[in-house]
Amino acid sequence: MTADPRKFPEASRAALRDPALRIALGRLRTHFALGRAQAVERYPDWEDLRESGRAIRDYALAHLDTLLLRFEQNVQASGGHVHWARDAREARDIVLAILRDAAAKTVIKGKSMLSEEVGLNHFLAANGIETVETDLGEYIVQLRGEPPSHIIAPAFHLNKEDVARTFRDAHDTLDPERPLTERSDLVAEARRVLRARFESADAGVTGANFLTADEGAAVLVTNEGNGDLTRLLPKTHIVLTGLEKIVASLEHAAVLLRLLTRSATGQDISSYVTVMRGPCAGAESDAGKNFHIVLVDNGRTPLLGTEAEDVLRCIRCAACLNHCPVYAAVGGHAYGATYTGPIGAALNPGLMGVHAARHHATASTFCGRCAEVCPVKIPLPAIMRYWRAREYASGLAPKTATAGVGIWAFFAKRPALYAVAAMIAARVLKLLSRDGRIHGLPLMRNWFTVRDFPAPQGRTFQQLWAKRQ
Amino acid sequence: MSARNDILSAIRDRQVKSAPAPPEYHAPTPANLVQAFAHRAQLASAEVRFIDSEADAPEMIADLLRARNLPAVVHVPLSCTSLPWHRTPGLTIDVASPGPDDAAVAIAPFGIAETGTLAYPSRADSPASWHFCAGFEIAVLRADAILPHIETVIGRLKASGLPSTINFVTGPSRTGDIEQTLELGAHGPKALTILIVRA
Repeated sequence: MTADPRKFPEASRAALRDPALRIALGRLRTHFALGRAQAVERYPDWEDLRESGRAIRDYALAHLDTLLLRFEQNVQASGGHVHWARDAREARDIVLAILRDAAAKTVIKGKSMLSEEVGLNHFLAANGIETVETDLGEYIVQLRGEPPSHIIAPAFHLNKEDVARTFRDAHDTLDPERPLTERSDLVAEARRVLRARFESADAGVTGANFLTADEGAAVLVTNEGNGDLTRLLPKTHIVLTGLEKIVASLEHAAVLLRLLTRSATGQDISSYVTVMRGPCAGAESDAGKNFHIVLVDNGRTPLLGTEAEDVLRCIRCAACLNHCPVYAAVGGHAYGATYTGPIGAALNPGLMGVHAARHHATASTFCGRCAEVCPVKIPLPAIMRYWRAREYASGLAPKTATAGVGIWAFFAKRPALYAVAAMIAARVLKLLSRDGRIHGLPLMRNWFTVRDFPAPQGRTFQQLWAKRQ
Repeated sequence: MSARNDILSAIRDRQVKSAPAPPEYHAPTPANLVQAFAHRAQLASAEVRFIDSEADAPEMIADLLRARNLPAVVHVPLSCTSLPWHRTPGLTIDVASPGPDDAAVAIAPFGIAETGTLAYPSRADSPASWHFCAGFEIAVLRADAILPHIETVIGRLKASGLPSTINFVTGPSRTGDIEQTLELGAHGPKALTILIVRA
C-alpha cells in the first residue's frame, strides 16, 4: 500500500496481483451497483430528481459567498461558532485549539473524508490527543493503521476473517477464545467496545453531508448512529467540513438526500438523518454544550470558474467508484489519496496539484459510466480530459506519450498523407496479425503483456466509410 | 487578511457561473399515507403494530418485551410519563438514560409516509440521545401525524420554530461495513417497533 498518488501505476500493478482484493472488488457489482439500480428503478422520476439536484448544487456554487455568510450568521444566532480554514494546516490548528480550550484528551469521531484529507488523526496524536473512529469501517481501518479504501465503505477491501484478526489483536483484554466467526459477532463486539469510548470521550468530531444557509444547519446522514452519539454524548462537538457542502435551505438538502442514499447504498433513506443547529438546547440532559463548525477550503475555491468547477457539485455518494472499471480493478488504496475512483481522478489534480495526481486523471477508459450514474450530473470524463490537457500543457506528460501524439498530429493535420499512411499501416498490421489479432508491436511490449487487439482486414476506416457513402 | 476574508474574496474573484434559483421540487405523494408509512417502515426492518389509543401502549409494550424474552423494564422519558403505566403492574419503568441492551419508549411527533421515517424534534423532555443509546426502541406515533414528505415536516417545524436538533429515524441502526452485508444494531437500537395510534 502507498499513500503517494505519484506511485499509482506501481500500486495498481501490485493491487492487480492481490487475490483477496479481487474478491472484495467483486462486491462492487453484486452489492453496490445492484442496490443502486434497484433503488433508482423504484423511484418514479429519477431523471427529474437528478436535474433538480444538479440545479440545487449549481445554484449553491454560484452563490457560495452569500450562502456561506448567511450560514455563518444563522449558526452564530443559534449559539454555535464558525471557523474558516484556508488549507489543511489551518483546519488542523483550529481543531487543536478548540480541543485544547476544552481540555480534551480523547476525541471520538464520526466518519469524515475531510478529516482524512487534512490528516487530522495523526496530527492530534502527535499533539497528545487520542482519536477513536466510531464508524465501524473507519474503526477497523484505524486499528489496522490503514487509510479508508472507499468513500462510503472504508473497510471495503477486507473480509470478515481480516476483521476478526484485527479485533483479536486490538481487543486483547477480551476472552481470546470468544467466537468471532459471524459478522454479527464482530458488529456486537465493536458496539460494546465503542460504547464505552463514547461515554468517556471529551469531544466529538464529525463531518457534514450538507450545510444549509437559511437555517444555519449541518445535516448528517448515517446508518450506524455513531455520528449522533458523537454529537450528543461529549460536551464539545466539532463539525469539520468542506465549504462547498453548502446549499440554500433544508428543502434543498432534502432533494439531495433522496439522491445521496439511493446512489450510495441503494437505500431510499439512511437509518439516521440529523439536522444540527447550534448546541443542543440547554434544557436537554444530553446537551452537547459547545458547537463548532470548521469550513475548509483546501483547494476548492480555486476550482471555481475553471472547467473543473462542476466537480464541486459532488455529494460524495461513491456511485462513480462503484461503477468504474478502473476502481473495480485496482481498488482504493492504489490511488494513494483520500478521494479515489472517478471523483478522485476529477478532484485530486485540483486539490493536490496536477503534478501529484496526474496519473489519476489518466487512469480512465472514458467509458462514461461514472457520469451516467452521478446523481448531480458531474461530467467526470470531461473534467479528467481537462486535467489531461493541463498535464500536457505543463510538460508533465511522459516523453514517449508526447512524442507519439506528436507523430499522430503530424499526419492528422495532413489529410492526404494521413490516408496514405493509414493504408500502409492497415496492410502492415494485417501482415503482422495472427488469428486475426495483433499480439505485439515494437516499442509497445508492455502494452501487449495483458492485451491484444483485432487486426485491420486490409482497408482503412476512411476507405470503408467512402464506400458506404 | 483573515482566512475568512481571504476565502470570501477568492470566491468573489472567481465566481463566474450564474445559476437561476432551482424550481421547487415536488416528490411523488403516496395515496394512503398510513399504509405507505407502515410499508416503508417495514422495508427498513422496523416492526409496525396498530393500537386504538395511546393508553394501550403500555400493555402492548409489555407484550413486545415478553415476545422478545426481554426483562419487563422500559426506559421512559418525561414526555411519556403520562401514559397509564400503572395499568400494567408487571412492567417496570425506569426514567434513567437507557443502556445498549435496554428498551426505551419515545413519542414521535411526526411520521413521513414517503420513507417510513420517524421525525423527532429535540425537546427537553425527550432527549435525542435516547434514540441512539437504547438497544430496542418503541416509538408511539399518531396516524394523523403521518405527513407525506420530509419537506412537510420541515415546514411544520419551521412554522413553530426550528429546534436545535431534528432526528429523522428510519428502522433500526445498521451497518454494511463488513463485506457490504447488512447487519442490524451497529451503535444505535438493534430493533425498532412503531406503535401507530389509529386516528
